[in-house]
Amino acid sequence: MTSHLKEISKSIEAAQGESFLEELNRKWNDHNKALQMIRDILMYMDRTYIPSNHKTPVHELGLNLWRDNIIHSSKIQSRLLNTLLELVHRERTGEVIDRGLMRNIIKMLMDLGSAVYQEDFEKHFLEVSAEFYKVESQKFIECCDCGEYLKKAEKRLNEEIERVTHYLDAKSEIKITSVVEKEMIANHMPRLVHMENSGLVNMLLDDKYEDLGRMYNLFRRVPNGLLTIREVMTSHLRETGKQLVTDPERLKDPVEFVQRLLDEKDKYDSIINKAFSNDKTFQNALTNSFEYFINLNARSPEFISLFVDDKLRKGLKGVSEEDVEIILDKVMMLFRYLQEKDVFEKYYKQHLAKRLLSGKTVSDDAERSLIVKLKTECGYQFTSKLEGMFTDMKTSQDTMQGFYASHPELGEGPTLVVQVLTTGSWPTQPSSTCNLPSEMSALCEKFRSYYLGTHTGRRLSWQTNMGNADMKATFGKGQKHELNVSTYQMCVLMLFNNAERLNYKEIEQATEIPAPELKRCLQSMACVKGKNVLRKEPMSKDIGEEDAFFVNDKFSSKFYKVKIGTVVAQKESEPEKQETRQRVEEDRKPQIEAALVRIMKSRRVLDHNNLISEVTKQLQQRFLPNPTEIKKRIESLIERDFLERDNVDRKLYRYLA
Amino acid sequence: MPRASKRKAAPASSSSVTAPPPDQSRSRTAKATSKTRLKESDQIDNLFDTYANSSLGQIDPEGIETLCSDMKVEYTDVRILMLAWKMKAQRQGYFTKDEWQAGMKALKANTLLKLVKALSELKKEAEAPQNFEDFYSFAFKYCLTEEKQKGVDIESTCELLKIVLGYQFRSQVDSLVEYLKVQKDYKVINKDQWMGFLRFCKEISFPDMANYDENQAWPLILDNFVDWKKQKSGGR
Repeated sequence: MTSHLKEISKSIEAAQGESFLEELNRKWNDHNKALQMIRDILMYMDRTYIPSNHKTPVHELGLNLWRDNIIHSSKIQSRLLNTLLELVHRERTGEVIDRGLMRNIIKMLMDLGSAVYQEDFEKHFLEVSAEFYKVESQKFIECCDCGEYLKKAEKRLNEEIERVTHYLDAKSEIKITSVVEKEMIANHMPRLVHMENSGLVNMLLDDKYEDLGRMYNLFRRVPNGLLTIREVMTSHLRETGKQLVTDPERLKDPVEFVQRLLDEKDKYDSIINKAFSNDKTFQNALTNSFEYFINLNARSPEFISLFVDDKLRKGLKGVSEEDVEIILDKVMMLFRYLQEKDVFEKYYKQHLAKRLLSGKTVSDDAERSLIVKLKTECGYQFTSKLEGMFTDMKTSQDTMQGFYASHPELGEGPTLVVQVLTTGSWPTQPSSTCNLPSEMSALCEKFRSYYLGTHTGRRLSWQTNMGNADMKATFGKGQKHELNVSTYQMCVLMLFNNAERLNYKEIEQATEIPAPELKRCLQSMACVKGKNVLRKEPMSKDIGEEDAFFVNDKFSSKFYKVKIGTVVAQKESEPEKQETRQRVEEDRKPQIEAALVRIMKSRRVLDHNNLISEVTKQLQQRFLPNPTEIKKRIESLIERDFLERDNVDRKLYRYLA
Repeated sequence: MPRASKRKAAPASSSSVTAPPPDQSRSRTAKATSKTRLKESDQIDNLFDTYANSSLGQIDPEGIETLCSDMKVEYTDVRILMLAWKMKAQRQGYFTKDEWQAGMKALKANTLLKLVKALSELKKEAEAPQNFEDFYSFAFKYCLTEEKQKGVDIESTCELLKIVLGYQFRSQVDSLVEYLKVQKDYKVINKDQWMGFLRFCKEISFPDMANYDENQAWPLILDNFVDWKKQKSGGR
């Protein structure tokens, strides 16, 4: 057979150009047919003699002979390889080749044994492909922008996969795809991601979901691919976030501020959803970034509360219940990122109090829904006082009904509405002096005795700085208006029922309202256009001690109901901010101490660093304690003999029962 | 201590009665030593009476002052503090009879002269590493004159630091005292902080303080001191 094959080999060698492969193919087919026949003839020997004597089976022998004499013949071997590679290259450059022929030849190699396939073809195929793609990727990256490049890379990748299905061994797929991935993607990753005007950051800014998705899918294939994307996204997000929260322009409008944060969150949620297939690691990166920059601004908790306040006052008017839930859930997401949740609580309480007392909430259900969410997030203690506030409002309603029911004679006079607030649930406000006009004070006294009649042992103190009043007023030209004013303003205005002109001193004496509040109150009624129910001489903007006040007979407004003096929640002024911050700090001290005692009681003995980290862990749901503050508390506890330092190792603390 | 002396006399007499002639010499010396001991404790008592305030039954600050001038030692000398330590004196400025007796006995001094000599030995003893912490701790406690007093005011602390640590840790004490006078966080120093000062001097290299780690369990006042010092010397 060998000599026969040698003949064949010569004839194949002789084949020129194109027909080389065809010749090979034909001869191979012939050979196979022949082998089959031979095997059939020699079947008996194949089955009995050969196994027992450990000789190579016929078919195999035939294949080996083919391999040795044809494929590995010096003139054929390299020519075969080169021809095959040439064809592949041509196809890559866009030509159409005879895929059937390719398939047969490759199959021949595979039949000859995987060693032949790999050694004589695959190995070289991979090398050449690598070279090809190295060159191509270099060419592309010089002239394409990121998006285009990725498209091309994807195309090539798909081509190779297709090539494998058509005429290569399936096992080659993974090998060739890693070659493409390496050459086209892995080697150029940094350059692609950071490409000017078209890299990852630009894609993020422009919401290029398709490009981002493509990048995600391609980079996923290479080591550290997703890591690279994540890192760049994170640092970009942190940078944008940081600018957002530290931009002084933005800080002027808290509601805008928070809205921008929510928008940013929405944007990235979309990107991760649409382009990054909701990859958890990307979601975590998003969370971390937000946690980082939202806490860069110490006013974030206050602003989020103001945002909620705005929504609950008017923003959610006419919004469907589901949409309300969606917005509140989004706000809760931001809340979770806050480090200083206790600061938020303080502001939320203040704002809620104002909303409840002025009756300005758009939807009770929305309010309650948010409380429930906060409770789920932070536990019962966080919200018990807030719930107490709602209860007080309800109870007060019932109380008022009872009051008027038991005093039917009061139906004619001014209507009193009292909200009885449980101290401790509501943010503390120092109450100040104020002389109510006689009509009101009589009424208030009646209420007081009624209430104390049913609730003995309680103490009531009027919070005149938090109330409001609706008054009917008739002006000089007969204009009638209904004025909604604060209690202080009411006291001042009622004075003018009995006097044409009053100067500041007289007003001060009669009402006994503290000077700063009185001045603000007079300013809002005499110096503000559209609300100037009073006239002041001189017409300056500031209130002087000698100023004189008159009812403004010429007052006009296009509305019948005029609102003067609202108790709207506002961004705090500097001194107010300091005060709130101080109160929060003070509240933290006992919490830190409680945590310290709790931990030491159960551990008995603990070293300094572990104690600090345990305390931090316990309190992190509410705020991040300052290690220096913790140290101060530890020293205070040592001084009060709750703890002691170990005599030998002064880094250890011991609990003293 | 009449009771004690009686006891000492008794065995001596019994041995002199029962012992055969050869023991007579011993009994005589026994008698002699007991007599000396008797004399000694008497001398101690006499010395006590010399300085004590008779109506109080204790040596009061005036008495201590006199004692000091007799010994030609400054009232503020650290050795007086060490004497108080040796006596385990409970109340600053006063020595009770028991305290006096215990102290003098421990120092093996029954005359003023011996006491003066004993003082320099005492200094070495107090400064010995195994004793110094105890003495240092005592010095603070000694300053807590009021009942339930937990802290010593800054002024007194500074003086005390100079007396007690000044000899061994001059530069640290100078710096520390300077800081204590300018800082505003603390008006009194408590025991924990006081002990911290000693630990600081012993463990932290000075003045670079390179091995100070504020994340360790140092009292906050020392963290602040280190910050202040570093800022002063410009480095950080």
